[in-house]
Amino acid sequence: MARPPLTIPPEVRSRLQRLALRTRRDMGDRGYGMHHSRNKGAGLEFAQYRAYEPGDEPRRIDWKLFARSDKFFVREAEEESPVSVWMLIDASASMAQADRARADWSRMDAAKLLAMCIAQLALMQGDRFGWMALCDHGLVVADPHRGRTQFERMQIALARLESAGTFPDPATLSPLWERIGPNDLVLFLSDCFDEGGIALIERLAKAGREVLAVQLLTVEERDFPFDGGYRFREQESGAALIGDGKALRDSFLARFGEARAALAERLERVGIRHTAYVLDEAIDRPLHVFFGRGAPPA
Amino acid sequence: MTPLLLAPLGLAALAALVVPLLVHLRRRTEDVPVDFAALRWLDPHPRPRRRLRLDEWLLLVLRLLLVALLAVLLARPAVLGWDDEAPRVLAVPGIDPAAARAAAGPEAELRWIAPGFPLVGEGAPPPHAGVSSLIRQFDAELPQGAPLTILVPPVLAGVDAAPLRLTRTATWRIVDGGETAAKPAAPPSPALAVRHAQGQAAALRYFRAVAAAWSDAPRFEAGPAGALPPRKSVLVWLVPGPVPASVSDWVSAGGTALLADAAEIAMPAASEALWRDDTGAVLVEGGALGEGRLMRFTRPLVPAAMPALVDAAFPARLRELVSPPAPPPARVRAEAFAPAAGTAPFALPPRDMSGWLAVLIAFVFLAERVLATRRQRPAA
Repeated sequence: MARPPLTIPPEVRSRLQRLALRTRRDMGDRGYGMHHSRNKGAGLEFAQYRAYEPGDEPRRIDWKLFARSDKFFVREAEEESPVSVWMLIDASASMAQADRARADWSRMDAAKLLAMCIAQLALMQGDRFGWMALCDHGLVVADPHRGRTQFERMQIALARLESAGTFPDPATLSPLWERIGPNDLVLFLSDCFDEGGIALIERLAKAGREVLAVQLLTVEERDFPFDGGYRFREQESGAALIGDGKALRDSFLARFGEARAALAERLERVGIRHTAYVLDEAIDRPLHVFFGRGAPPA
Repeated sequence: MTPLLLAPLGLAALAALVVPLLVHLRRRTEDVPVDFAALRWLDPHPRPRRRLRLDEWLLLVLRLLLVALLAVLLARPAVLGWDDEAPRVLAVPGIDPAAARAAAGPEAELRWIAPGFPLVGEGAPPPHAGVSSLIRQFDAELPQGAPLTILVPPVLAGVDAAPLRLTRTATWRIVDGGETAAKPAAPPSPALAVRHAQGQAAALRYFRAVAAAWSDAPRFEAGPAGALPPRKSVLVWLVPGPVPASVSDWVSAGGTALLADAAEIAMPAASEALWRDDTGAVLVEGGALGEGRLMRFTRPLVPAAMPALVDAAFPARLRELVSPPAPPPARVRAEAFAPAAGTAPFALPPRDMSGWLAVLIAFVFLAERVLATRRQRPAA
């Protein structure tokens, strides 16, 4: 399917400059730096010189030092981040829902763009990032890497991603446990209507992963602006309900508000930070809620 | 001021009000399908809404108004008692327009007494025609309470025999300087043209004597049947036997003919006795034929059968018969003809308001179109 690759709008990109992906550990006692570690590797921050050993890449030899000392030294930099950022994107059919007022901006589109924003943050600070699309026919997994190549791969892969089917069952989800490391940061982008999804992130949180959940809601779910006769259809089960918008509104808003409060309580109990993103808000708002210092954009 | 409807049955068109209502009734039978993932939080048994619901109230109101106004237009609205009670001035044609204007005042509504009552100063003064009838008409059509002034010349022509009695006390003003009609000259004596059969000229001498009695320069000619005289002459037809069709055609075209009793012709259906003698016996009968007049003696033109032939009054009597009927007297001294008040006023016809209503309908229609074709219109 020939779709334009996802691009982040310039104003969002400039707002992202103010943000940094931090885990809870970063914000804890140590107080500075981003995901520091003592592992040496091929990063940018200089750590030390060591003597050349056969097998090292010639391009890693410091030729200026060789000119001074006539010996081969290899530059070693700190492997900055042991933390991988995972984006779990719910690809069930309910994610395809868009508002009637803006039919080309579905929940899925928002999830993709939000994932791109997270990837941009990770790219800017050199973290590894990977993604998983949770489809019922099997997970689409991209292992975490850092760098612009990974970002462009993600752009292409997400542009191809379609939302269909139901939320995958636990058996389909099992490869997930092998991939997500113990200290990884997991961002869960979903409408959070599926019990399977909530159970998954609960287990992840209990297993020590830091999980941030973004509940993507449409404007219609928030405001319920229906007036007149409608045939409400649920995408995944196909269930339908015929009713009058005005008559349904009050009870829906009350019950939906209760459900969201129950969800919030449930997530907080296991320590999952969460926020809701409604489709008419700025796409980077959840990131400002999670990582920002000032007020989030509207 | 009483509004009323001249054709109240037109209000039956108000039934058409249901059409815009139906157009605007929300089609609730169509349930718009919409994807909604949060279905499980919808009330599965919503209370049904039975109320009728309507879209686009303003447009609906305009359309209802349009239909209602059209129905009222069909019912022909009118207003009773909404009358213009400005003073009016009438002038008899023949008065100098400048004198009439001076007498009426510069602002007054000044009209000629003529069919249609044209305004003085617009176009040429109309010809003189039935003055008293027109005054009665104007008075009857004028609302009660509107003062009326009538400007007349000293001698008024074109009046009829009845004195003027109007519904109001009109001001009767005699304006000098109008045209003074000259006393009409006496009509010339009729010309007699006698047509007789060969050798039967005995009666000729009576008519020659009549012509001589009428005028010092008698206009008389006689001849055998054949060429007919000009139509102004009076034809005296003494030929016995059937009258040729050329003679009846001549009469129908406007001639006057006097036939002898021996002439055989079908007399017009409207024939009546025109001259009876002292004993009451009919001497001349006749009537109109086409545009002319056809008369016939009922007795042979010999003194034994008709003693009036040799009577001294015969020429005068004959002249009365053949002369065209004189117009009725129509001239009167204006001061003697001043109108009296006292006739019961006539009920004025209600003023028709359809024109104004049509203008209003046009505006409402315009507003409806503007509203219906504006850009930001919610999708139906």
